Amino acid sequence: MTDPRRFFDDIQVGEEYESPGRTVTETDIVIFAGLSGDYNILHTDAEFMKSSLFGERIAHGLLGLAIQAGLFTRATQPYATLAFVGLRWKFKGPIKIGDTIRVRAKVTVKKETSKGDRGVVTVERTVLNQRDEVVQEGETDLMVERRPA
Amino acid sequence: MIQPAKFYFEDVALHGVLETPAMTITEAHVTLYAGLTRDEPLEPGAVPEILPLCLTTGLGWRVPQPPLAVLAFMGFEWHALSPVRVGDTIFSRSKTVTKRSMKDGGVVIEEREVINQRGETVHKGKFTFLVAKRPAA
Repeated sequence: MTDPRRFFDDIQVGEEYESPGRTVTETDIVIFAGLSGDYNILHTDAEFMKSSLFGERIAHGLLGLAIQAGLFTRATQPYATLAFVGLRWKFKGPIKIGDTIRVRAKVTVKKETSKGDRGVVTVERTVLNQRDEVVQEGETDLMVERRPA
Repeated sequence: MIQPAKFYFEDVALHGVLETPAMTITEAHVTLYAGLTRDEPLEPGAVPEILPLCLTTGLGWRVPQPPLAVLAFMGFEWHALSPVRVGDTIFSRSKTVTKRSMKDGGVVIEEREVINQRGETVHKGKFTFLVAKRPAA
């Protein structure tokens, strides 16, 4: 059986992907608060948030980041990822309950490492809502296996 | 009515260090996280790299200091130095490295490390927050 994963050699700079959409629900936010222990009123107090700048509860920024990571895996065939190396990330706007987000991604850099069997792939990512507003954006670096000789 | 205490821009000490309590990352955390996000571990027993980061935000509420009056989490950079496995016990140590006063609030840049039970820094990064100033009395 051939390995369905895409290796460092298969991935090309300039490739672009767009994920399916996902509607962020109140349940997502409640579960994330429980899991992370981040009960900040921004995410948990509907009454307080009525009078805030946002007018309602908003999703945790890191929940958006994590959902985006999951959406990315549905946007393309899986990479032969060995490790997540790092990221640079900006939160540009709120994700509200009922918003549908998707990720648009582009491979910007491929860098070989001193170890010959792997390389770092940098992917630029933009998280958009249903109005095509950018809510988050950044770059992630992934360590990807080279195609075995 | 007594309002809960808050830590404002003026209260943030430059180079002040804050350590959180520790917690053990279990299979339940990984399963719940992967089910919620579909960000799956790369292999059995591995912990997706974004999960410890998420857990440090909750741990950050369990320190002997009132919560920072964050107006906005502006952005961050993050480096995964070595893998985190199910069963590892992590805590975080953070330090304020930059304070910049603005018209409405101030920018605070914090360095954060995730440290495991062997004292190894496994993840580290820098967070940028917009923090409220103390309201005039």
